[in-house]
Amino acid sequence: MTFRQFAYRNVTRNKRKYAAYFVCSSFSVMVFFLCALFVFHPAIKKDLILSTAANTMLAAEGIIFVFSSLFVLVSVDSFLQSRKLEFGILLMHGMTKGQLNKMVFLENMMIGGSAILSGTLLGILLGKLFLMIGAGFLGIGPLEFYFSWQAPVLTISSFALLFVLISLGTFVLIGQDSPRGLFQGGRRKEQAPRVSLLWAAVSALLLLGGYALAASASASSVERVMFPVVAITVIGTYLFYTQLSLYIAGVLRSIRRFYWHKTNLIMLSGLSYRWKANGRMFFMVTIVSAVSFTSVGVFASIHTLSRELKLDYPAAVGYVAKANQDGDRAEHDLQGIRSELERLGLPYETLTLPVKYAEVASQTGPDLTRQLPLISYSDYMQALEKAGFVSVEQPLQGSEGLVMIGSQRDRSLTSSRVKAVYTLEQGMEIVEAGYTGHVPIAEYLLPELDGRDGGDFSGIVISDSLFQAITPVHTDRYTGFYVDDFPQTSGIARSLSDKGKVAYESDAPYAVVVSGTLFEIQKILYSTMLFASLLVGTVFFIAAGSFLYFRLYTDLDHDRQQYSTLSKMGLTDQELDRTVTLQLALMFFIPVGMAILHSLFAFIALQRLFYLSIAVETGAVLAGYLAAQGLYFFLIRGRYLRNLKKN
Amino acid sequence: MPLLDVHNLSKIYEGKVSIHALNHIRFAVEKGEFVGIMGPSGSGKTTLLNVIATIDEPTSGEVMIGGRDPNTLGRKEKALFRRKELGFVFQQFNLLDTLTVEENIVLPLTLAGIPVAEMERRLQEVAARLEIVQLLGKRTYEISGGQMQRVAIARAMIHRPALILADEPTGSLDSKTAGEVMGLLAEVNEAEGATVLMVTHDAVAASFCHRVIFIKDGRFYNEMYRGSSRAAFFQNIIDMLSLLGGASHDLSPVRL
Repeated sequence: MTFRQFAYRNVTRNKRKYAAYFVCSSFSVMVFFLCALFVFHPAIKKDLILSTAANTMLAAEGIIFVFSSLFVLVSVDSFLQSRKLEFGILLMHGMTKGQLNKMVFLENMMIGGSAILSGTLLGILLGKLFLMIGAGFLGIGPLEFYFSWQAPVLTISSFALLFVLISLGTFVLIGQDSPRGLFQGGRRKEQAPRVSLLWAAVSALLLLGGYALAASASASSVERVMFPVVAITVIGTYLFYTQLSLYIAGVLRSIRRFYWHKTNLIMLSGLSYRWKANGRMFFMVTIVSAVSFTSVGVFASIHTLSRELKLDYPAAVGYVAKANQDGDRAEHDLQGIRSELERLGLPYETLTLPVKYAEVASQTGPDLTRQLPLISYSDYMQALEKAGFVSVEQPLQGSEGLVMIGSQRDRSLTSSRVKAVYTLEQGMEIVEAGYTGHVPIAEYLLPELDGRDGGDFSGIVISDSLFQAITPVHTDRYTGFYVDDFPQTSGIARSLSDKGKVAYESDAPYAVVVSGTLFEIQKILYSTMLFASLLVGTVFFIAAGSFLYFRLYTDLDHDRQQYSTLSKMGLTDQELDRTVTLQLALMFFIPVGMAILHSLFAFIALQRLFYLSIAVETGAVLAGYLAAQGLYFFLIRGRYLRNLKKN
Repeated sequence: MPLLDVHNLSKIYEGKVSIHALNHIRFAVEKGEFVGIMGPSGSGKTTLLNVIATIDEPTSGEVMIGGRDPNTLGRKEKALFRRKELGFVFQQFNLLDTLTVEENIVLPLTLAGIPVAEMERRLQEVAARLEIVQLLGKRTYEISGGQMQRVAIARAMIHRPALILADEPTGSLDSKTAGEVMGLLAEVNEAEGATVLMVTHDAVAASFCHRVIFIKDGRFYNEMYRGSSRAAFFQNIIDMLSLLGGASHDLSPVRL
């Protein structure tokens, strides 16, 4: 037996121990490879819109890589911890520290190398299928199977680097323990954290506080409170696993009437034992799952997006000719749009209305607007009618004005905005009396009202008589092309804007919005993100499962001996099954349950940013994850029980 | 009627070469008796104990405990039978390390669903008898081997089983502690009237019994009663062991 054979046998004869780790590593490699295949696909790389999708996939690759590094590091560390006794024996028999390092390095590289190999091969095998699914997700035509040389090179080299670096890192992990230390290492009790009422209470407070903040956040404060809430919840979750849950178990154990009843004694004590050993892992699983639930849930809400877009872009194509541009150019542009619509065979109606800009002398409120965009009430009503919106708004009186919302999202901002009173240079006053019920002119076509970035309101609707009396600084002309089936307008007016919009703030002599193109881009962006987050989520999910598997496997000998004692003492099979099932169920579902709870509150908060409900999509995603976890649970439970009873 | 009646018990392990582990063993144990079983390695001691403990099934013959044959019961009923009628003491103590000492002791009562007040009363009783009252709140890894075995004995007797089965109870203890533990076991047997059947290699441990049964190659070989002097009984056991002719390492290194 050569040294290499020795290392090889160490691995192959411990197949079961490394099984989950190996499966998870090769799965990560495979997903990484598939993403790379997608990123380097010529049809994706060359397309202007699809190249944003490629960037998303590249980001997903980054996340997978970083996560895999963490996963491999943690796994390798726990393997080493569980082998301390073995290392002690080897050192006692005269193995040098260098040889030990070499052995561990070889073993790691064998597992890592085979994971890379099998992951890449599997990726090549599934490549075509994956490209088909990917194309389906993005709603683009089928992608040909194209095997770019970059994909395997990137995959193999980055994972090889990962495994080599971490295997080298194990030299530090093995440390400088003497053989004696290693001998005891096998038996040393894991130092359980000290549980105190104070920390348990802090944990409960942090979690409840985080939830309360998330639930009560308003649209304007969501962005501000997001990071503190996430931080609070993460800390709260950590303390939940290391303090609160153990404290609750402690309280339950002190109630003898409950604890000393039938199998509760074994169940609860066994559970606390595992909980103490695995608290940090549960914490990690919870956070990772919560992140993937939330992102998948958000990106699964694409369908609501089209409904939202219809409300935000009343005219499928909106065009504003700025006052400083010469008339011919505008006419030329509009003619171009008309002919394109006709060529596509899309029936359309147009509406042209003037937008007056009035010089503001002073205004109340925190903002400073120099030039106030104004449209007349009758133009406003016409715009709504063309868009098919039903309005019950009463004609405006005197100096009253309605602030135009630039998108449906702005509606949730109205409560926190201070209504201003404008005094114009002309001496007239315009009083903001309320907000329009619909979007008359899409965002980007008018300057932002509040004179700052991210200010969201567009301009003001005033009564016809007041509008007549205004002497404008300049007057823009807005033209809307109203098309029923707006996604069809994708790609129109490419000569004016290839990404579907030119904002008013740009230097161009016009502003244009093509909702079809915007929708297309948004859709592809969201679909890619959904696709990427599903992939990353699956990698997370499998990694979490692998951790659980390994922990159960390490404890198996100990558990087997315990249950053999118990069964001699007269624990029936049914009682054993029930005890084990309950323990495993809590280990499997408490972290997932916590993650679901976290993401539900995240969704509640995010709901403020998305005007339309995303509940259905979110529910579907969570149900899917629960089902997968349930399946995994029954699989593991069956295997574990069978192994336990094998004496 | 004897409490334990082993009748023509045989056990054959089938395989390429079938092994006759037990061959028509027959003996009886009266209520309140303390019986040891000795024999060289491979003589079938552990098989015998396992069959009596209903963990293994006999090929032929029967075991009657309190007038019932547990081997006719189903798997679940067997478990319930063990829970109620049998107590176990193991060589490796087999205490559950997730439980405290007192929880380990009350475990059989908990499984049976006894009220808490009753459990606590009996716990105090057995803890006092085995002199482990001050250990009750500790975890199993905080106490010594001798203490662990006392806890195991407490666990084996707290539910007042018909029969306590002990498998090499002194096997993991040093000779001084072994003596103490055996003294306590004998005292429990004496004072509580508990019936004990013990498998052992250790002649000193065996000398605490009322009677020692010797088996060899799965057959009943001989039996010996203690009489009045434990020292003389010990010497007789040693003599019998050398007569049995097991390998020398089976013998206790202690010689008088």
